[in-house]
Amino acid sequence: MTTATAVFDPQLPGGESAVAASARQVTKAYGSGETKVTALDAVDVDIQRGRFTAIMGPSGSGKSTLMHCLAGLDTVTAGRIWIGDTEITGLKDKQLTRLRRDKIGFIFQAFNLLPTLNALENITLPMDIAGRKPDQAWLDQVVETVGLAGRLKHRPTQLSGGQQQRVAVARALAARPEIIFGDEPTGNLDSRAGAEVLTFLRRSVDELGQTIVMVTHDPVAAGYADRVLFLADGVIVDEMHAPTADSVLERMRRFDGKRTS
Amino acid sequence: MLLKTSLRSFFAHKGRMALSLIAVVLSVAFVSGTLVFSNTATSTFDKLFAATASDVSVQPPKPDDDEEQQAAAKPPTVPVALAQQIAGLPGVKTAVGQVMVHNAILVDPATNKLVGPTQGAPTLLGNWTDTPRNALHITSGHAPQGPGELVLDADTAKKAKLGLGDHVRVDNSGGKHDFTIAGIATFTTTNPGAALAFLDTDTAQRVLLGEQAYTSVEAFGDGSRGNDQLKADAVAKVGAGYQVKTAAEQKDENTKQVGSGLDFMKYAMLGFAFVSAIVGAFLIVNTFSMLVAQRTREIGLLRAIGGSRRQVNRSVLVEALILGVLGSTIGVGAGLGVAVGLIKLMNAIGMDLNAADLQIGPDVFVAGYSLGIVVTLVAAFFPARRASRISPMAALRDHGTPAEGRANVIRTVVGLLLTAGGAALLVLGAGADKAATGGQYLGLGVVLTLVGFVVIGPLLASALIRVLGAVLPALFGPSGKLAQRNAMRNPRRTGATAAALMIGLALVIASSVFSSSAVTSASAQIDRSVGVDFIIQGGRTEVTPEMQDIVRRTPGIDHVTTQKFFTAKLQLPDGGKAKNDLTAVPPTFFGSDFHPSLDAGSVDSIERGSLGIGAAFAKDHNLKVGDQVGVDYGKGRTQTLPVGAVFKKGELFGDGSFVAMDTMAKVVPAAEQPPVWTFFAKASAGTDVAKTLTALEDGLKQFPQLSIKDQAGYKEMVQSQIDTLLYLIYGLVALSITVAVLGVVNTLALSVVERTREIGLLRAIGLSRRQLRRMIRLESVVIALFGAVLGTGLGLAWGVTAQRVLRDQGLGTLSVPAGTIGVTLAASVVIGLFAALIPAFRAGRMNVLAAIATD
Repeated sequence: MTTATAVFDPQLPGGESAVAASARQVTKAYGSGETKVTALDAVDVDIQRGRFTAIMGPSGSGKSTLMHCLAGLDTVTAGRIWIGDTEITGLKDKQLTRLRRDKIGFIFQAFNLLPTLNALENITLPMDIAGRKPDQAWLDQVVETVGLAGRLKHRPTQLSGGQQQRVAVARALAARPEIIFGDEPTGNLDSRAGAEVLTFLRRSVDELGQTIVMVTHDPVAAGYADRVLFLADGVIVDEMHAPTADSVLERMRRFDGKRTS
Repeated sequence: MLLKTSLRSFFAHKGRMALSLIAVVLSVAFVSGTLVFSNTATSTFDKLFAATASDVSVQPPKPDDDEEQQAAAKPPTVPVALAQQIAGLPGVKTAVGQVMVHNAILVDPATNKLVGPTQGAPTLLGNWTDTPRNALHITSGHAPQGPGELVLDADTAKKAKLGLGDHVRVDNSGGKHDFTIAGIATFTTTNPGAALAFLDTDTAQRVLLGEQAYTSVEAFGDGSRGNDQLKADAVAKVGAGYQVKTAAEQKDENTKQVGSGLDFMKYAMLGFAFVSAIVGAFLIVNTFSMLVAQRTREIGLLRAIGGSRRQVNRSVLVEALILGVLGSTIGVGAGLGVAVGLIKLMNAIGMDLNAADLQIGPDVFVAGYSLGIVVTLVAAFFPARRASRISPMAALRDHGTPAEGRANVIRTVVGLLLTAGGAALLVLGAGADKAATGGQYLGLGVVLTLVGFVVIGPLLASALIRVLGAVLPALFGPSGKLAQRNAMRNPRRTGATAAALMIGLALVIASSVFSSSAVTSASAQIDRSVGVDFIIQGGRTEVTPEMQDIVRRTPGIDHVTTQKFFTAKLQLPDGGKAKNDLTAVPPTFFGSDFHPSLDAGSVDSIERGSLGIGAAFAKDHNLKVGDQVGVDYGKGRTQTLPVGAVFKKGELFGDGSFVAMDTMAKVVPAAEQPPVWTFFAKASAGTDVAKTLTALEDGLKQFPQLSIKDQAGYKEMVQSQIDTLLYLIYGLVALSITVAVLGVVNTLALSVVERTREIGLLRAIGLSRRQLRRMIRLESVVIALFGAVLGTGLGLAWGVTAQRVLRDQGLGTLSVPAGTIGVTLAASVVIGLFAALIPAFRAGRMNVLAAIATD
């Protein structure tokens, strides 16, 4: 099996370049000795700025762990990670929190919104926390893009699953983060609502120039991305540019075949 | 099957149960501790009385109801010959004449300080007798012999640092008498705290009684006859006039006297245990509600696989039962500690009880366990019912957080009706003519408003926190906004948590309004109607002419005013009779010393031979100025006087009547007049009152039993008396507030667990630990402040009503202690911050990833 390098320019990790986030030799292990489980094994990866990257792989491949580490939610056992030009490995919780607040947007699979806040308050929450005033023009544009203009005063319980995820997307976009991480953002949605959300993500990359990294196991979702990284057993085993749902599915099949052979 | 589920679930949530457990433990501990304490005290006295009572005691005749004792001029006595008569009865081994009085004091002549307790327990002086059942035996020195010797009890001697050969003075109305300590006597059982001193019989009769007599004759049988038989024989021999009491009767009587003193303490403690039990119940309701809410899915699954509603219901109640039993068991144990604490407290204020001799009867266990179990079961009943209504569908539903409870309409209507009814009763009470009627309205109004507030708590929570919390976003940014929303998201829970705090704080505010009004009223009244500068009170002994002379001769004193108290029977024009306090006063009393307001007539008329009466008495008996009233001073001394003045309601002297000293003296000979207990002195114009006070204190130094106060000192004394009561109330309330704080901790801790995913999300999108902790602290403060605002509102309503009810009983001026209210509100903020410490710390430490992944 060949180890694909997902690195574009090893000389310029994090510098003013086309790279929004990068990882070098990132290893994540749980436990020790006999019971040691390696979730990530010396992974090198660069995330291109202004692109939509999907991370795929079977359950337990380490795809969520990679995303959590890149996003500063989890610590690594070894290796280094940059977000923009900031190295985040070794940062204290306080600095990491600030980094997440100012530079990163999140879209989780479910439970993205605070039930006590209405849609608009949820969207502006990261800026609220930072004590920043939202850029009204940008906010309007984001709200417009995700099509929530009429529902800003609604509480999450009054919104459908698809609408809730769109609010989450809007929240991630509104603060103009360096990078948005999505953890199976359409995993809980039916295919129509999922397609809507993915379309918005795609548009935000195309129209707003946003950088997005999305973990998914759905080939259709991956088909919206510019580039797909395939993970297996903690290692990046392949990557695909300008994927389609079919080509991804095909690649996954091969991949499954390899695994079972 | 379900029992196992309950047990597992109980132990799985032991951390959460712990706080409820503490609430149960506290209330049970106080109930059982109080019972153990009062059992122990009663048994100590029982033992003492049983060990020392004579078989039959012959005491002076009981004063007839008609011939009321006039302020105890002299102790009643029996003739010496009675001892021989009793001794001669068949079956009597010995009969001893006993002298025992409490109207004398012991003074250390070296320091001019009182020997023995200054308050509470009495100082008793008597003759040393040798009986088969002496309460004390002499442990050093010898029995008193001759006019100069005295035996003192060991505890008192130790406290006063006196020993054999030291000098002690006995002061009473007969003057000062010097003695040397010839012996120290020790109690054979536990000393209840009194000081005892013994003289030989002749000296005791001469010094203490001023006549050859005894205060009682104590007979001890030879065992051949029963006590009842001895009593019957004694009654036959000496006649029915004397009081003859068997050992059992003496014991009962003594126990009753001591018991009434302890009862106050007992009821205060039980009342407090009751309040903390109610407050604890709120905590338990909340705990179980939250546990049920968290387990909605689990319970749904149970129902889906065939568990019946009853089984679900029972599984929750069984958990409550486990909590109740466990809490009661620990509580009863802790109660022993409380009892020991109370005994130590009593020791500190002079009542000697033995902590090693705890009496733990079955009543302690019955009361403790019933309280603990009933409170938990009743409190868990509502959550259990809610649990049984969870549909099997809940198992299938994906639920992020439990549904937000909303205040329902019925609850709101019932709550509003109760509150409105309670408020109406308070208004009625405040307007009532009679204090007794007003008091009844007040009591009922307090209960109704309290219950009403508890019921509409959730509704108020939504409304008030919207207002209270409105400043939070502005002040504290996103943390403030989130805290406000969180506090409002489950009004029922917030309401119940705050209600616990509300009860305690309402009590604090109500009692502080009451006490502050009492102090202000008293001092306003003194300023308005008292012209005299000094009040001198005799304490245990009567005021002697010598004392009055010293005061009169003190430079700067213009004159001295005495007063003599009677309990008089007044013969009314309509033929009825009424008992009333009657004070005989000299011309200076109304001439210059006191200026009461009048409804009718004039105070001058009193000096001219008329009677002054109170407004309420006048109204009750339909009297007006000019009516002729027969005054019966007792012992057949009567005269008829016209009513000359009617004092306004709420005057300094309550509802008592006044007569001039000269008028009284016309019919009551000097020998029959009661002694003076309190007298007044007025400083000459232009004299420095403070300097004169020092001079008076100097002059009266040899009489340590006297209390000398100027107006300021008197006001201070009133204040400190009320403060003592207030501190007691505060102490009791403090514990219920402690339980309430546990409730806030509990609610927050459970909320934090419930909102794990939310917290994870917030942290993921960049909420710092500090902001997170602040959010939880602010929520806590908002809940506490909400409780405090409700409590302050209720407390003010209660306190103001109480003042209105008692406006004619010496509480004429309303005073709202703004300071106390401010402190209470500030304290509630501190309470909120304190309660949030641990929940906030735990939330801050939560692992972000784990929190997000939590299902």
